Amino acid sequence: MPDAQPEIRNHIRRLRFEHGEMTQDQLAKMAGVTRHTIMALEGGKYFPSLLLAFRIARAFGAAVEQVFEYKESASAN
Amino acid sequence: MTDSEKWAWLTLFVVTLTATAYIAYVGLVGNGPAAQAVFALMALTAIPASSRRHLKGCRLDERERGIANTALLAAFRALLVAFIAAILTIGFSKGWDTSINVPLWVLSATICWAAIFVLTVEAVTTLVLYRRRLHA
Repeated sequence: MPDAQPEIRNHIRRLRFEHGEMTQDQLAKMAGVTRHTIMALEGGKYFPSLLLAFRIARAFGAAVEQVFEYKESASAN
Repeated sequence: MTDSEKWAWLTLFVVTLTATAYIAYVGLVGNGPAAQAVFALMALTAIPASSRRHLKGCRLDERERGIANTALLAAFRALLVAFIAAILTIGFSKGWDTSINVPLWVLSATICWAAIFVLTVEAVTTLVLYRRRLHA
């Protein structure tokens, strides 16, 4: 078991602006969630399920790894 | 503000209104079966559309559903703890062989207060979870 909480960072905000300044609402509709969830994701307050991660990546036409970045902490196994 | 947060604030308002009305009624008229009419105020929770979130089915996304489930679980766990505490308190204070005889309105009032307790804990937990960092 890992000792510390691993971090999942995302590049949703940057990708939105790279895709014609896509609004949070537009992305939310494409991913099938509410705008508040997109806000929580961008603010690092929520880690999405695998299904939602794939939906968001598909909305940007990118791979999941291009949107989400797993950063293992030093104390994790 | 999400639908769930609106529901939580409305629930807290209705719970406060009901408790205040109950205390005022009991103060004026006295405790008894008539005071149970105050619990009809709880029906106010059904007025706005956001309060019917559980009936909307798939309107909640995965984050909102996770928060709603956690809040509901916390509410019923709290009720279980309160129930066990009440049973133990009555048992140890009155004696375990004591019989109690209460009118039916006391039973209905107890159920109403239990519902108010569950709604309060669920609403507060919902508001707290929306504000803190949540890891799925």
